[in-house]
Amino acid sequence: MSDRGTFLTADNKDKTAAVSVKDLRKRFGPLEVLKGVCLEAEEGDVISILGSSGSGKSTMLRCINMLEVPDSGEVRIGGEMFRLKQGRYKTEPADRRQVDRLREHIGMVFQSFNLWSHMTILENVIEAPLHVQNRNRAECIEEAEALLERVGIGDKRDFYPGHLSGGQQQRAAIARALAQRPKVMLFDEPTSALDPELVGEVLKVMRSLAEEGRTMLVVTHEMAFARDVSSRVVFLHKGVVEEEGDPAEVFRNPKSERFRQFLSNER
Amino acid sequence: MDVAFMWETFLILLSGLPLTLELALTSIIAGGILALFLSLFAVAGGPIGRGLTRGYVFVFRGSPLLVQMFLIYYGLGQFRPLLQELGLWAIFREPYWCAVIALTLNTAAYTSEIFRGGLKAVSLQQVEAARACGMSGLLLFRRIVLPIAIRHALPAYGNEIILMLKATALASVITIMEVTGLAGKLIADSFRAFEVFIVAGAIYLAVTFLVTRLMMIIEFWLSPHLRMRPPTLA
Repeated sequence: MSDRGTFLTADNKDKTAAVSVKDLRKRFGPLEVLKGVCLEAEEGDVISILGSSGSGKSTMLRCINMLEVPDSGEVRIGGEMFRLKQGRYKTEPADRRQVDRLREHIGMVFQSFNLWSHMTILENVIEAPLHVQNRNRAECIEEAEALLERVGIGDKRDFYPGHLSGGQQQRAAIARALAQRPKVMLFDEPTSALDPELVGEVLKVMRSLAEEGRTMLVVTHEMAFARDVSSRVVFLHKGVVEEEGDPAEVFRNPKSERFRQFLSNER
Repeated sequence: MDVAFMWETFLILLSGLPLTLELALTSIIAGGILALFLSLFAVAGGPIGRGLTRGYVFVFRGSPLLVQMFLIYYGLGQFRPLLQELGLWAIFREPYWCAVIALTLNTAAYTSEIFRGGLKAVSLQQVEAARACGMSGLLLFRRIVLPIAIRHALPAYGNEIILMLKATALASVITIMEVTGLAGKLIADSFRAFEVFIVAGAIYLAVTFLVTRLMMIIEFWLSPHLRMRPPTLA
């Protein structure tokens, strides 16, 4: 229903943002999960998205690559808006090909890794560049090996996901997402399924990605990462952005009472 | 027991083995293709697809293969003028093709259930990971869904292949001279049912033994990810 309206709000500022989310609304049955969320990530931004469970943070992240289709609102990747249409029962993408094409530029890292169990680590990493982006095989393998080296599992290329620890699997999943040469990386609670002693190795990789200037949106419960690594923190509560700003500022001096409570619980 | 007679019997029954294997192979391949479409229709065809495939499976799994074979071979004979008009009589007049059709339709019902189970066992998480990097449609099916589904379905499918191999024996009742058909004829000539059926049984046993080994090899080859020891690195 907002399809036509969203064209009118397009302006030049949106075109420069790596990711732009406007007035995102999503409801699951009677439950309204997102009640008009706005978010903007410039190139090189590392945004930590915080919130207690049920606050809508994962749903919002999944709306950015249309794994969840929002009921209304707009999502832009590098200025290009996902076109939506009103289906009979729910809002749907107007053009599935556009969705596929934009997704190529969005790397996603899942909470439970979601590696393809029947492929080796190397095969996992070259799958998208080789079969979706149709790049040269030798080049894909060379790049994949460099990426695996970079996340510290260069020696595991011929192993299957089931043979690796959780931390190694998640680092493989990060390499897989990087192999797409994405404009944006989305992390959906990347360390929540890991044993505490394995969290560090994944955070280290994410920190190095942030340092090289990658655009990242990270849904996380790692307060230290949010405070020290991200350029901006967004706190969601009951489907709206309660607090947003520079991490040093919001952690020291939270304006919202909810965020204050959340911080005291997390510590 | 007369060893010389059994050896003679063995050689005669062995001449029926190519026909047994041909029946099995033709119906397994044709039934497999039909089953793949049925299972896809069941999983992705909405309520109509689910209803139709469920009905098909209900009918062909719920009635004896022998009855289906009789219906096709003897039953359809009653509609000879109609079949002639449709140009199908050339097929339905041949016991061989009637047997193949009955075996195919029957195995397709079981196999589609096996495939459906395999497709449903593909985790949504792995599909989501594929979608997230821009895969959809046929590419997603070919690269992710099908390979995972096949691995889930293989053990049950191996079972179905063996069942089909043995089910070809039923074709002997509509005059086809495969291993069991030849055995029946030999018994009518010699009245030595024990020796003849022992030899026939041994032939089936040998073939199913080879099939189970083959399935084990395929399973082993397709599931390096399930073996405990990681591959050693060169």
